[in-house]
Amino acid sequence: MSPAQSFDILIIGGGATGAGLVRDFARRGLRSLLVDKGDLGSGTSGRHHGLLHSGGRYVVKDALAARECIDENRIIRRIAPASVEDTGGYFVATPDDPDEYVDAFAAACHASGVPCEEVPVAELLRREPALNPAIRRAFRVPDGGLEPWGLIEATVADARARGAQIWPYQRAVAMELTAGGRIVSVDLADERSGSVTTVAPRFVVSAAGAWAGSVAALAGIKLSMAPGKGTMLIFNQRMTDAVINRCHRPADGDIMVPVHEVAILGTTEITVDDPDVYGIGRDEVAQLMVEGLKLFPDLARMRLLRAYAGVRPLYKDDQPAAAVKDGREISRAHLIIDHETRDGVGNLVSIVGGKITTHRLMAEQTVDAVCAKLGVAEPCTTAEEVLPGQGDAASYWLGHRLAEHEEDGGGDADLICECEMLTRASLDRFLDARWPCSLDDVRRGTRLGMGPCQGGFCTFRAVGIVAERSATGTLPAQPEGLSPEAVDQILLDFLDERFRGTRPIAWGRQLQELWITAGLYGGVLGLESLSAGSRPPTAEIAPAIAAERETVHAQG
Amino acid sequence: MPRADVVVIGAGLAGLTAAIALADAGARVELVARGHAATHWTPGGFDCAAPPSAPTSTVGIERLAAREGHPYGILAGDVQPGLAFVRSIVGEAGLMYRGELEDLLRPVPTAIGGTRRVGIVPAGQGSALDRWSADERLIVCGITGFKDFWPSLIAASLARPSVWSSASAGAGDGLAADADPDDDRPARVEAVSVGLPGQAGRRSINAMELGQAFDDAAWRREAFGRIARAVEASGHGPGRIAMPAVLGIADHAAAMADAAEILPLAMFEVPLVPPSLPGLRLYAALRGAFLRRGGRLSIGEPVIRMETDGRRVTVVVLSAAVRERRIGAGAVVLATGGIAGGGLIGLADGRLQEPVLNLPVEAPGVEDWLAEQAMCDDGHPLERAGVRTDAQLRPIDAAGDVVYDNVAVVGSLLAGQRAVAERCGDGVAIASGWRAAATLGSSSGAALRGSLQPTVAGSRI
Amino acid sequence: MTIQDLVREATYLDVAMSADSCLKCNVCNTVCPVSRVTDLFPGPKYVGPQAQRFRLGTTLPPQSDVAPHDASPDRWVDYCSGCGMCTLACPADVKIAEINNRARAEMKAGHRPKLRDWLFGQTDLVGRLGVIFTPISNWSLQNGLIRWVLQVVMGIHRKAPLPAFARRTLRSRLGRVDSVTLARRGMDAAGRAKEPPPDRAVVLFHGCAANYYEPHVALAAIEVLRRNGYETIVPEQVCCGLPLMNNGMYVQARSRAHSNIDVLADYARRGYRIVGTSTSCTHTFKAEYREMLDIDDEDARLVAEATWDICEFLVDLHDDGRLDTRFGRLDETLPYHPPCQLKGHGIGIPAMDLFALVPGLQAIDMDHDCCGVAGTYGLKKEKYDIAMAVGDPLFKRIRETDSAQAACDSETCRWQIQTATGRPTRHPVEILASAYAAFSDAPAASATVGAPEREPVTPGR
Repeated sequence: MSPAQSFDILIIGGGATGAGLVRDFARRGLRSLLVDKGDLGSGTSGRHHGLLHSGGRYVVKDALAARECIDENRIIRRIAPASVEDTGGYFVATPDDPDEYVDAFAAACHASGVPCEEVPVAELLRREPALNPAIRRAFRVPDGGLEPWGLIEATVADARARGAQIWPYQRAVAMELTAGGRIVSVDLADERSGSVTTVAPRFVVSAAGAWAGSVAALAGIKLSMAPGKGTMLIFNQRMTDAVINRCHRPADGDIMVPVHEVAILGTTEITVDDPDVYGIGRDEVAQLMVEGLKLFPDLARMRLLRAYAGVRPLYKDDQPAAAVKDGREISRAHLIIDHETRDGVGNLVSIVGGKITTHRLMAEQTVDAVCAKLGVAEPCTTAEEVLPGQGDAASYWLGHRLAEHEEDGGGDADLICECEMLTRASLDRFLDARWPCSLDDVRRGTRLGMGPCQGGFCTFRAVGIVAERSATGTLPAQPEGLSPEAVDQILLDFLDERFRGTRPIAWGRQLQELWITAGLYGGVLGLESLSAGSRPPTAEIAPAIAAERETVHAQG
Repeated sequence: MPRADVVVIGAGLAGLTAAIALADAGARVELVARGHAATHWTPGGFDCAAPPSAPTSTVGIERLAAREGHPYGILAGDVQPGLAFVRSIVGEAGLMYRGELEDLLRPVPTAIGGTRRVGIVPAGQGSALDRWSADERLIVCGITGFKDFWPSLIAASLARPSVWSSASAGAGDGLAADADPDDDRPARVEAVSVGLPGQAGRRSINAMELGQAFDDAAWRREAFGRIARAVEASGHGPGRIAMPAVLGIADHAAAMADAAEILPLAMFEVPLVPPSLPGLRLYAALRGAFLRRGGRLSIGEPVIRMETDGRRVTVVVLSAAVRERRIGAGAVVLATGGIAGGGLIGLADGRLQEPVLNLPVEAPGVEDWLAEQAMCDDGHPLERAGVRTDAQLRPIDAAGDVVYDNVAVVGSLLAGQRAVAERCGDGVAIASGWRAAATLGSSSGAALRGSLQPTVAGSRI
Repeated sequence: MTIQDLVREATYLDVAMSADSCLKCNVCNTVCPVSRVTDLFPGPKYVGPQAQRFRLGTTLPPQSDVAPHDASPDRWVDYCSGCGMCTLACPADVKIAEINNRARAEMKAGHRPKLRDWLFGQTDLVGRLGVIFTPISNWSLQNGLIRWVLQVVMGIHRKAPLPAFARRTLRSRLGRVDSVTLARRGMDAAGRAKEPPPDRAVVLFHGCAANYYEPHVALAAIEVLRRNGYETIVPEQVCCGLPLMNNGMYVQARSRAHSNIDVLADYARRGYRIVGTSTSCTHTFKAEYREMLDIDDEDARLVAEATWDICEFLVDLHDDGRLDTRFGRLDETLPYHPPCQLKGHGIGIPAMDLFALVPGLQAIDMDHDCCGVAGTYGLKKEKYDIAMAVGDPLFKRIRETDSAQAACDSETCRWQIQTATGRPTRHPVEILASAYAAFSDAPAASATVGAPEREPVTPGR
């Protein structure tokens, strides 16, 4: 058995915070390894609302959180412009929103340093005619759109350039501790091959978010998380090009965010037991629609494309507070848990809570705390340097995929996913860099299947390309290629995954689209004849399952 | 107000069958449709019945007819005459079909390397129906740059016996099967990809582009020449070639004739995702037949409502640009399709609605609409939803009472069928279209027509 | 659902959001005449609902004065001809052609229009100057060298079917026509009282074509109306604005629209029908003002609901039994092309219904989708070949028909067809006028009674 690889820092959890951590540690000269049980950004970060907060949502109730947001908002725009769409945002007062909150809003923004400008309602309605004409007041703030996977990719690219290692699909399954409570080794199981690798870190940081409990358990620590499921609805078109927030106490369904080609309405907050197991009920969807209609009266006529949910990494502190203090006030929005003082494990820290907008700050504070323990004096530099791969440092433009394709001559010949204008060349580049992976990973990296047909037309094309590369031995790390059964599984898994996000909203046009897709795969393409095409009949699965108790895999 | 003896709503296989049969019988028929759908999305064959373990379409129809609530319970006897009628109609345009209801259902390759069990297919897909002899190979021939047909994927999958035998169930039913079904597949499956003339570097390569190219005789002869050379280079011995279904739109028959002449082996088309060229050819043949019989066709005009007088529909109202276009109707054939075609709409509140006449719809409660997974054996309960009818295809309500006397419901709008899994959609469409025409056009159906008043003698208004 | 519901919903916002309904089924791509003949146009699905999701400001009317947009991401949508076949064929009610037109306008927003495109939009200006300077203006447009220069300098193809200017405008001749009342803007109540009441008169929107190029068409319409007991009121009017819209000049188009609506709304309110001989102009009033320009006030709606195509109007009279059907015999075969804009009206093919009333007249619907010219599209150097390829099957069919002339309701189509086939091409109302004139004891007349003063331009002759 090979000797365990040693690292200064092992970070468990490859969401935005984990990425920020590995970058910050690497920049301070520490040999770091980042692992995630799945693809990077396949957890909460990959299921967020798509919003780069201005902080306006928090100005009235949590001024510190608001200030953190606006500070980080500015930083992210500077260091990762390609992941940010400068949509701008508005807080609007509908007739349902109480005057006291609205009246206090602008002043509260100023107090927290969140730029806020009241605009005439008529002017806003001319810019965004789909908005509720009964809006009474409107305030402009610097909300933006934030794309998580590009952000994470660029962040870890900086870390890699400084010697960090990034290992996705490695699940931490065991930790060995000394009698004195120090972690000496961690076993990582490869989710794809099953093989186990052992690493020996000096320090372990858990950025596993909603899964922090199961990571802490490996060190014999009881850490109770209260994963807060938030459901979101994806609409097929942007009925608004700016973020629209209700100007009221934060509640469900009060933000509409334009994200790439779609618009996302969110969200809810329902505690679930297991961050991997939750469902989305029609009643949740209905409730979100009720709120959304207050902002966009025609919303019921717009095409609902998909429902998805993420789980917030909320912490249920059932032990006396053991938050790390470095002399500054730390917002209640996120929390660094020092397991030395709390649980007697000397080289483990967990970072919980927080939001993607403040991921860099969360990482900075965590790294500061760990470096203090390690006696490393390097300062944080993550706010200063622009991340790699930001191109011409211009922020994301909705039209860029179309414009580039049109410049190349347009046409459909090389479009694999036509809805999202994904070219063969882009898909090949992704496979070159990331294979072996699932089509869901491909989706995160390229937007395959995220348009109106939800994979109906592009899934088998993507599978055809994988099969072609398999036959020519050009799949990275798999020159022997794939069996037809493995190819079948890739196809079926993706179709299933897309279905799961359609099921909660299956009416209207999307139900029709689903039927067309089913007719294609079942009828023209004969899917059931493939080896894995036979499924257990529904009699083996509990029949009518009550809507709010559907048990499905995490989906999005 | 213009009048028609029958207004047919929907231009799919069911609507066109009914419309042509009625026009053939001398009725004044107006066919209106919101747009094109059904034919353009489907493989162009006549799938009448292929439930699991039924060896032939005939047996399949019997089995489905015995299923409670299946449309074949009413229509089983109309499949044969309806099918014969439609085949003769499309034969006028030179569109020929292979296979009979009594033939064994055979697995034929699909564009993802699966198989589907079929009995009656357009002639261009016909050589896929022949039994495979022991040494035959299958050459899956793709077109370079065409992204809806991946030969490597298809060939690797079809090399598995399981893909062929999963479809050939039913030979143990006592019907003649003279060889072990497990041998009834190609001995070898190979993939080739051929660059066709002028296609390299094109910005648009899709089924329509290729289909139009194959309509050009000079181009296609050169194309077939290249394909022949690629096939010969891949080896010798008996076999068949599978190609994507792009072999001509207007000149398909001539294209297949050229293929037979130039290619060294028999070739069959494999249907693709929409736009389906076999479906377009079928539609063109049916449309031409309808117009030649004096039918009036309006595509792009949705029906917004109908006016009724008790249990009779009297006027069909279409949306023109700013006003209604009203057509007096002696009878109506409702061929608007199921959920895929837009004839049934799922509402957010969990109801399933028939939007044109607001007919009562038989559907499970919304909690039971969809199964847990995208594809499973029993399918989604919502698949059997639709409008229930009496033996004359008149829509009935939950109590069994006729809602409208002069309306015939046809095609995928009919309740009780799982069109995709049972592969009965085309058969139900044809049989119901035929039955509707017979019912509305026969003398016993004269009462259904009400009083007809031509506005001007001999006019088509 | 009533037509009022549909019309109320069809505001600009709904047209843009109709991209929501796209099922990606590719049916639109099967009916597009332009993508059939050229690779430069990627097809309606691509430039319509698919690209729409990548455009900012889709909730705003084209070239709105609010929030100037980022650079347009589009390029190849410029090759959409706007024929509208895609919108008709779409099973999901996506307003594809309208979305394309909007995208093209946004592409041009913020840029000065090309001189050519600007000129194409100035129909009143060009028409007036052209008429004033006849015959030199016509001679110039027939001169091969000058046409070469126009092609090189301005991009108007040297063989483009440009019409000949009339020697005098229609309006200048109307004073001498008995059944016509020329109405001036700002007429007082006394003036209005002199106008014949709405049950005895219609308002004529003659459009630029009849005013500057084909006064005989409007005169034929006026005669046919007179024959049916209707006088004609001709108010002040400007170009409907469609050429401006099609060339991306929405701001000027809005100005024309408001000008026309100001004048016509008053007549509509008083109960007059507004009749037009150009299917493009009438469609613009009925739909484009609302769907493309976002003009949706009460006046605009009144005008839209009062607008009738001349053949639509006559068929409506006939449905009421009030059409004078004393047509003389016209023994001839008449190839007829229903223009794209007519299909957008959703009124069926009224000209064919009227032709059926004329004894001896064998009108044949050429059953081809588009003649190619699509307004000013086919005049442009870079699009001329595409337009001719689109129309080629139609031209062939007409040439193969043994006939002296052809018929079509749209002026630009008429010019395209007669230039391509050499057959004089008439508005259907001219045929009817000839048939009325032939109603006597005289032997069968030909339909050349009422021929235009001047033969149309055949460039390069």
